[in-house]
Amino acid sequence: MSAVVSANFLVFCLFLTVKPLAAQDNYEIQVYGAETVAPKTTMLELHSNFTVDGSKPLPGSQYTTDGTYPTNHALHETVEITQGLTSWSEVGFYIFTSSRSGQGVQWVGDHIRPRVRVPDSWHWPVGVSLSTEIGYQRRDFSTDTWTWEIRPIVDKQIGRWYFALNPAFERSFHGESVSHGVEFSPNAKISYDFTKVITGGLEYYASFGRLGDFYSFHDQQQQFFPAIDLNVSPNWEINFGVGIGPTASTDHLILKAIIGRRFDWSGHHEHGSSLSTQ
Amino acid sequence: MNRRDFLAGCSALATASMLRSPAEAFAQEPPPDVSLTIAPLELEIAPGKTIHTIAYNGLVPGPLIRWPLGKPITIDVLNQTNDPEIVHWHGLWIPSNTDGAMEEGSPMIPSRGRQRYSFTPNPAGFRWYHTHTYAGHNLKKAAYTGQFGCFYIEPKEDAGSYDQEIFLTLHDWNGYMGGGGDASMDVSYDYATINGKMLGSDEPIRVKEGQRVLFHVLNASATLMHWLACSGHAMQVIAMDGNPVPIQESVKAIRLAPAERIDVTVEMKRPGVWILGETRDDFRKAGMGIVIEYSGQQGEPRWVAPPESQWDYSQFARPGKSTEPDVRIPLVFRSKFTGHGDFDHWMINGKSFPKTDTIALQQGKRHRLVMRNESTDDHPVHLHRHTFEVTNLDGVAISGLMKDVLVVKAKSTAEVDFIASNPGMTLFHCHQQSHMDFGFMMLFRYA
Repeated sequence: MSAVVSANFLVFCLFLTVKPLAAQDNYEIQVYGAETVAPKTTMLELHSNFTVDGSKPLPGSQYTTDGTYPTNHALHETVEITQGLTSWSEVGFYIFTSSRSGQGVQWVGDHIRPRVRVPDSWHWPVGVSLSTEIGYQRRDFSTDTWTWEIRPIVDKQIGRWYFALNPAFERSFHGESVSHGVEFSPNAKISYDFTKVITGGLEYYASFGRLGDFYSFHDQQQQFFPAIDLNVSPNWEINFGVGIGPTASTDHLILKAIIGRRFDWSGHHEHGSSLSTQ
Repeated sequence: MNRRDFLAGCSALATASMLRSPAEAFAQEPPPDVSLTIAPLELEIAPGKTIHTIAYNGLVPGPLIRWPLGKPITIDVLNQTNDPEIVHWHGLWIPSNTDGAMEEGSPMIPSRGRQRYSFTPNPAGFRWYHTHTYAGHNLKKAAYTGQFGCFYIEPKEDAGSYDQEIFLTLHDWNGYMGGGGDASMDVSYDYATINGKMLGSDEPIRVKEGQRVLFHVLNASATLMHWLACSGHAMQVIAMDGNPVPIQESVKAIRLAPAERIDVTVEMKRPGVWILGETRDDFRKAGMGIVIEYSGQQGEPRWVAPPESQWDYSQFARPGKSTEPDVRIPLVFRSKFTGHGDFDHWMINGKSFPKTDTIALQQGKRHRLVMRNESTDDHPVHLHRHTFEVTNLDGVAISGLMKDVLVVKAKSTAEVDFIASNPGMTLFHCHQQSHMDFGFMMLFRYA
C-alpha cells in the first residue's frame, strides 16, 4: 500500500470514528445529584471503570484511529477529592489514571470542579446546582487536551423514586474539537429504593455533538448503565453498574464501581451530645 | 386508614354535633376564666423576618395561664382558622373528653366554632397547652405553628425561693423536608426562637448580681431536641415536666426533647452581658438564644460554650428499684422505610395507628410500660392524662423521677410505671409530630 493510500485510509478511518467531545469519557461515570458536600467535610471517591469491549488499536499500532490509546480492556481509576466549602458550595479535584496490559499505570490528567447549589433555605421544589469543570488530559488518551464543562444539575427524591438530570455543555480549548464549539452531553438517572440499603436504577450518559448540529445517532455517544447504590451509611457511597453502549462511537461494555468515604473534620461529637447535630 | 383519615371522620361527627351557633351555645353560660382565640398571625421573629403562622390570641407563646391548684377553670377557645382545631392540656389529670385529643374522644373545634373546656387543674407544676392536630407533610400546620403556651398550676404552698421567675419556650420555624441522619427524611428548619424571638431581637432578661432566677423551660418544637446553656452559669435542675426531681443536680447544660419541660434555678454571680442559648452553633445562629443582662452592664452579649455533655435522666432520680408493677405491657418501637424521599412510618408492636392494639388498663393497678426502641431514632414518648415514674433506663433501675414525656433513645430500652387512676381513653404517642402523624400512637382504655 503506497504512502498516499495509507494516509487517505487513515483520514477515512478518522472520519468514521469522529467522536463527540466527552470531557469525562469513561473515567468518572456518575450522574451528579444536586447536594453538595457539607462544610468542614471531605469526600474521597475512587471510580474504577473497566472497559470489557471498547476501542481497539489499529493493526500493528498501539493507538486507535484517532491517535489515542485503546480503551478495550483498560482499567480507568479516578481519584476524586471533594471539599465542602459552605453549606451551598464545594470544589472537587480529579486525578485520572489508566492501566492496560503492556502500558502499566499511566497518569491521564487532572480536572478541577467548583460547584454551587441553591441553598435549602430557598425552599425550591427540586434540588438545583451548577457545576463547572476544567482540566487537562494527555493527548495519548483524548483528542482534546484542555476541556471545559458546565453542568446544570436538577434532582428530586419523591418517596422511593429518585430523578436526576445533568444537561451538560462541553467545550474544547485545545484539540480536535476546538472548532466544534459547544457540545451537548446530557446525563440522567432514575432509581427506586427497593430497601433502605439497596437502590436500583438506570443511568444514561450521552454526547450528542455540537449544539444545533448534532451528529447522527451512529456517531453519538450513548450509554445505558443499570446500576445499584448501596446506602450502608451516611458516610459511605457505593455504586456499581454495567454500561452498554449501542452506538459505534461508544465503548460497548463497561463495568463501573464507585466507592466513596466522607470525612468530617468538624470534630467528633458523640451521638446525642450537647454538641452533636445527630 | 391513617391518622389523617381517622381525625377527618371524627371531625365530621363533632361538627354535626355542634350545629348550634357559637352565640346560641354560649349565651346562657357564665363568662370564661380564660379566652383563647386561634387565628393566623404574622409573627415578626426578628426585624425583617416574619413567619406566617397560627397562634393563640395573637401571641407566641400564647398567654401564660397561671392558676391555683384545685380551683376549677373554664376556658373558651374560638377557632378563627379554616381548619378544625383542638387544644390539648398537656400534663393535666383531666377527663378524656376534655383532654384535647380527638383520638380519646375530645371534640374538635370546627372552623369558626367555639369550644368550652371546664376542668379542675391538677397536678401542680409546669404544664402547657398546644394544638393536637395532624400535619402530615404540611409543615405549616399543627405543632409546626405557634399554637402553644405555658400553663402553670400553682401549688398550695410555694416556698418561692427565687427572685425572678421566667418562662422560656423554644420553637423552630419554617420546616422543610431535609435529609435525615439515618438516610430517611427529617424536618429541618430555617429559624429557631425563644419566646417567639430570635437571639438579639427580644428584650434582654435583666438580672442583678446575687439574684436567684427560676426558669421554666418548655421545648415546644414540633420535632427537634434542644440543648440550652447559660454561658458559664450553672443550672440547678429542680423539676422535670413540672414535677420536683428527687435529686437536684447542677448541670452546665440541659436537654429538652419536644414537649419536655425543665425547671432550673440559676445563681446570677457572673456580672456581664451573656447569651442563654442553644449549645450547638447552628441552632444558636438560627436564632435560639436570649440575652441575659446584669444590671449596670453593657456591651455585646458573650457566649461561653459549656463542655460537651450527654444527658442522663438517672442523675436526677434515686438509684435502685421502685415498687414492682401489677401489670407489664411490652411495647416495641420499629420504623417502616418508605423511601429516602419520605418520612419513615412507625409501628408499636408491629402496627401503626389507628391499627395499633388498644390495651386495657385495670383501674387502680400499677402498670409498667416495658419499652424497647429498635429504631435508629430517639422517641420522646408521652402518656396523656397520667404521670409516670421512670423505673428503668437501659437495664439500670431507678426511681422517683416523675414525668409525662420520656426520651427512649435509639436502640435502647426504658420502663415507666403509672397507676391507672384516671378512667377514660388514654393516648400514648411519640411527641415528634412527624412520628405521631405516621403511626407512632396507640390508645389505652380502662377495663
